[in-house]
Amino acid sequence: MNPTEIKKLIIASAAEEADPHETPGKLEDEGVSFDFSSDFTDKVISRIFTEKLTVIRDIDFGRSLSTVFYRIALTGVAAIVILLLSIFLSEGSISFNSFLGMGNTYDESVLYLLTGI
Amino acid sequence: MKESYRQADENELVQASLKGDKLAFEEIVSRYRKLVARTVKGMLGDSVFAEDIGQEVFIKLYYSLPEFRGEAKLSTYIQKIAVNLTLNEIKRRKRFFSMFSQKGNNEMYEYEIADHEAAEKREATELVNKALMGLDPKFRVIVVMRMLQGYSTKETADILKLPLGTVLSRLSRAQEQLKEILQTI
Repeated sequence: MNPTEIKKLIIASAAEEADPHETPGKLEDEGVSFDFSSDFTDKVISRIFTEKLTVIRDIDFGRSLSTVFYRIALTGVAAIVILLLSIFLSEGSISFNSFLGMGNTYDESVLYLLTGI
Repeated sequence: MKESYRQADENELVQASLKGDKLAFEEIVSRYRKLVARTVKGMLGDSVFAEDIGQEVFIKLYYSLPEFRGEAKLSTYIQKIAVNLTLNEIKRRKRFFSMFSQKGNNEMYEYEIADHEAAEKREATELVNKALMGLDPKFRVIVVMRMLQGYSTKETADILKLPLGTVLSRLSRAQEQLKEILQTI
C-alpha cells in the first residue's frame, strides 16, 4: 500500500478529464477492496426465502379467515330467512309489529303489560 | 445445478429467479455483491449498517425483478437500487442521529485481520473511506460512482437522474474538498 499513490488516485478520479474506467482497477492494485462478510449471500437468500414463506403463510391465513367469515355470513342469512318464515307462519304477515312480536296484540294489552294500569 | 448457473447470462438468471429458483438468485447475489458493496460501503463507510443496506438492496431486487424489462444492464438496475437505498439511509440518519462524524464511523468498523496483506488492504480501504466520509453526501455519491464503480460522468448523471452540468459542477467541488480532506489524513 502506497498512501501517497492512493491519495493521488482519489484526487485524480474526481477530475473531469480522468478516465473513470481505469481508477477502480488501479485502486484495487493498491489494495483497496470493498466486499461484504463471507456469509452475506447466505443471509440474503435466507432472508428472501424465509420472508417469502411468511407472506405465503399470511395469505393462507387470510384465505382461511375469509372462508370462515363467508360460512358465518351464510349461516346468518339462513337464520334470518328461517326467522322471517316462522314469523310469517305464526303471525300471518311480516309487518314491523309482527316482527317485534306484537302482531296480534291490542294496544291496551301492551299498555297493561308495560305499565300495569 | 449450482455449477450450471456460473456460465449463465443475466437474462437466464433473471428468468430462473422469477420462477423462484433459489440457486439462480444466489448466483446473482454472488456476481453483484462487490458492486453493491462498493456503492454502499463507499457511501456509508465500513459500518454494520452497510451490511444491512446491502442485504436490503438484493431483497428489493428480488421483489422488483418482475419489473426489470432488460432494457438496461442488470448491473445498472442493481446500481440504481443501491444508490437509492443508500441515499435514503443517509437522509434517515441525518434526520435522527446527525451522524457521519469520523469518530462515529470508526467505532463501527468491523475488520478481520488475517495477515499482513489483509492489514495493508484494510489500511488502504480505510484511507479511501476516510476521504469519502469527509465529503458531503451529494458529492460523495458522484465520487463513488466514478472512483469506485468506474462510471463516466454521463453514466453517473443517468443513474442519479441528475443533469450532466450538475454532476460536473459537483465533481469539481468534490475534488476541491478531497484535496483539503486528504491533506489532513
